[in-house]
Amino acid sequence: MIHPHDSAIVRTLGRIVVPVAQLFGFYVLIFGQHGPGGGFVGGVVLAASMILAILIFGVNADDSRLAQIVLHGDGLGLLIFAGVGGLCLIGGGQFLNYTHLEIPALDEPSRHYLGIMLTQIGVAADVAVTGVSIAISLSFEGDEVSHG
Amino acid sequence: MSSNLPILLFLVPFVTGIAMPMLTAKRRSWCGPLAMAAQSLMVVLGIVNLRTVLSEGSIEYALGGWAAPLGIAWIDDPLAAVMVLTVSIIALLTLIYSGVVASSSLDKSMPYYTLILLLVSGLVGIVFAADLFNVFVFLEVVAISAYALVGAAGGSALVYAFRYLLLGSLGATLYLLGVAHLYAVTGTLNMADLAVRLPEIITSTAVAGGLIYIFLGLSIKMALIPLHGWLPDAYASAPGAVTPLLAGTVTKVSLVAWVRIEYSLIAPGIEVGHVPVLVLLEELGVIAALVGGALALIQTDLRRMFAYGGISHVGLILIGVSLGNPTGFAGGLFYLINDAFMQAALFMIAGAMVHYYGARSLNDLRSMQQRSPWLTGTLVIVAIAMVGLPPTGGFFGKWNIVLGALEAQHYLAAFAVVASTLLTLAYFVRILTNWFHQPQTADSEPLVVSRSLSFCLGFVSIAMIALGLLSDSIFEFLLQTGGGV
Repeated sequence: MIHPHDSAIVRTLGRIVVPVAQLFGFYVLIFGQHGPGGGFVGGVVLAASMILAILIFGVNADDSRLAQIVLHGDGLGLLIFAGVGGLCLIGGGQFLNYTHLEIPALDEPSRHYLGIMLTQIGVAADVAVTGVSIAISLSFEGDEVSHG
Repeated sequence: MSSNLPILLFLVPFVTGIAMPMLTAKRRSWCGPLAMAAQSLMVVLGIVNLRTVLSEGSIEYALGGWAAPLGIAWIDDPLAAVMVLTVSIIALLTLIYSGVVASSSLDKSMPYYTLILLLVSGLVGIVFAADLFNVFVFLEVVAISAYALVGAAGGSALVYAFRYLLLGSLGATLYLLGVAHLYAVTGTLNMADLAVRLPEIITSTAVAGGLIYIFLGLSIKMALIPLHGWLPDAYASAPGAVTPLLAGTVTKVSLVAWVRIEYSLIAPGIEVGHVPVLVLLEELGVIAALVGGALALIQTDLRRMFAYGGISHVGLILIGVSLGNPTGFAGGLFYLINDAFMQAALFMIAGAMVHYYGARSLNDLRSMQQRSPWLTGTLVIVAIAMVGLPPTGGFFGKWNIVLGALEAQHYLAAFAVVASTLLTLAYFVRILTNWFHQPQTADSEPLVVSRSLSFCLGFVSIAMIALGLLSDSIFEFLLQTGGGV
C-alpha cells in the first residue's frame, strides 16, 4: 500500500506536474502522425503521470481518481484496435486495411488518418492501463490484490 | 469473406479473451460458457477453413492490405489449416474437461479463461505467421499465458512455473537473436523473401549462427532433449484442467514453427561447414526419441511419465521431418497431429485420476478400488496409439517415418523409431500392470464418471482411431505442404 507523501513541496509540485505530463502524453499521442511519438510512447507518458499521482497522493486519494477509473479498462485499448480492424473487415478489405474503413463522407486519406489515429489511441489506452495496473499491483505488497 | 478466414480464426479467441473482463463483470459464472462458445465457433471456422484450403488452395493473407515482403503476411496452407483445427478442437475439449476437474476457485476465475483464449490465439498466430518476427511475438503470447496457467495451481507449481519462465525467456531471447542475425544479413524478415536471399549466403557465419540460435530457441520451446528441463515438472504440477491443452499443443506448435523455418529457409541436402544440416537435426531427434523414452520408463509419477513420453515423441517427429523425403516429412507431420490428441488423452486420464482417486503415482493406481470403463477404455486405446498398432493414427505416422528412413537409407533413424516404440510399450506395460493390479470383484460397482468427461474421453479415442482410418487422405494433403522437399 502506498501512503500519501507528507512533504508540501512534493504535493504542490505534483499538482502542477501531473496535468502537464498528461497534456504532454496526449500531445505525443496525436503528434505521432507527423513526427516521433505515437501510441506506445504517449501511453507510457500517460501511465507515468498517473503513477506519479499515485505515488504522491496515495492510491485512494481524490487526486488519483483517474488511475482508479483507468484500472477498470483492462483490454479496452485492444478492443478499440481490434474494432477498427473489424470495421475494415466488414468494409470488405483485409484486417486493418484503412482504405476499407467504411465511414460515409470520408475520402481515402481521411480514412487512413482516422484509422491509424484510432488504433494509436487503442495502443495508448492499453499501455496506460497496463502501466497503472502494474504499479497498483506492486503497491499492494502482501495484501490480497483484487481488481479486474 | 472466405479470404478473411485466417484473421477471423485469430480474432475469435483473441477478442473474446480480452473482452472477457468487461462481458462478465456482473456475472462471473458466464466465463466458462462464453469461452466455450468462442471455442466452438472457432472449431466451426476451422472446419470451414480446412475445406476452403483443400478446395481452393492456400490463402495468403496480407494484413492491412500491405503485400509481403513489405507488409505482414500470414500463410494458410494445408499444414496450417489442419494444425489450427487440431488446436481448436483440443482447446474446446479442454474447456469441457476443465468443467469437470477444475477446482472451484479456478472454475470461477475470469483470468483463467482469458489466459486459455489468449494461449489459443497465440498458437493460431504461430501457425499462420509467414514472418520470423511474427512467430516471435506469438511465441511470447503463448509462453506468457502458459507460464501463468502452469502457476495457477499455486504452491510448488509456482516454482516450476518460474523455472519455465526463465528457460522460456532464454529460448525466446535466443530465437530473437537468431532473427536479428538473419535480418542483419538479408534485410528482410519474410520467410518467402528470406528463402530467395539465403541460399547464396548460407555458408556465411552470420546465417549459420542465426539459424543455430533460432533452432536452440525453438528447441527450448518444443522441449527437445537436452533442453527439456522445464517440461516434466511444469506439466506434473500444473492444474489438471489445462494440462491437456498445454501438453497437446504448445510444444507441437513450436515444432511446426521450426518445420516452417526449416523448409522455407534450409534446402534439403545443404551443408554448412561440411555438416549436413538435416542429418544433424535427425540425429538430435534420434537422441531425443531414445533418451525421452528411457526417462519415461523410470518415472514413478504418472504425469511425469506422460510428459517424458511427449518429449520422446518430439524427437520422433523431428526425425520424420528431417529425413529429407516426402514420405518421412508427411509421416512426421501426421504423427504430430496424432501426438496432439494422444497427449491430450493421456493428460485427461491423469487429471481424472487425481480428481476421482487422488492417484498421482503408479503405486497409487494399485489401490484403485473401482475402475471406470471410460478411463480404462481410453487408456487402452491411447496405449495402442502410442505404441503404434493399427488401426490407430500412431501406427501410420510411425510406419511412414520408418519407410522414409529406409528410403533415405538412414538405418539409425529407423532403428530409433522402433526402439522408442519398444520403450513406449515398456512403460505402458508398467502402467497397465499397476492399473489392473486390484482384481475387480463381482460386487464392486464401476465408477461412474461425469457425462462431459466421458464425452471428452470418447472424442479423443474416436479421433485417434479416425485419424488412422483417414490416414490416406490426410497424408495426401500433408504431402502438398511438403511438396518442395
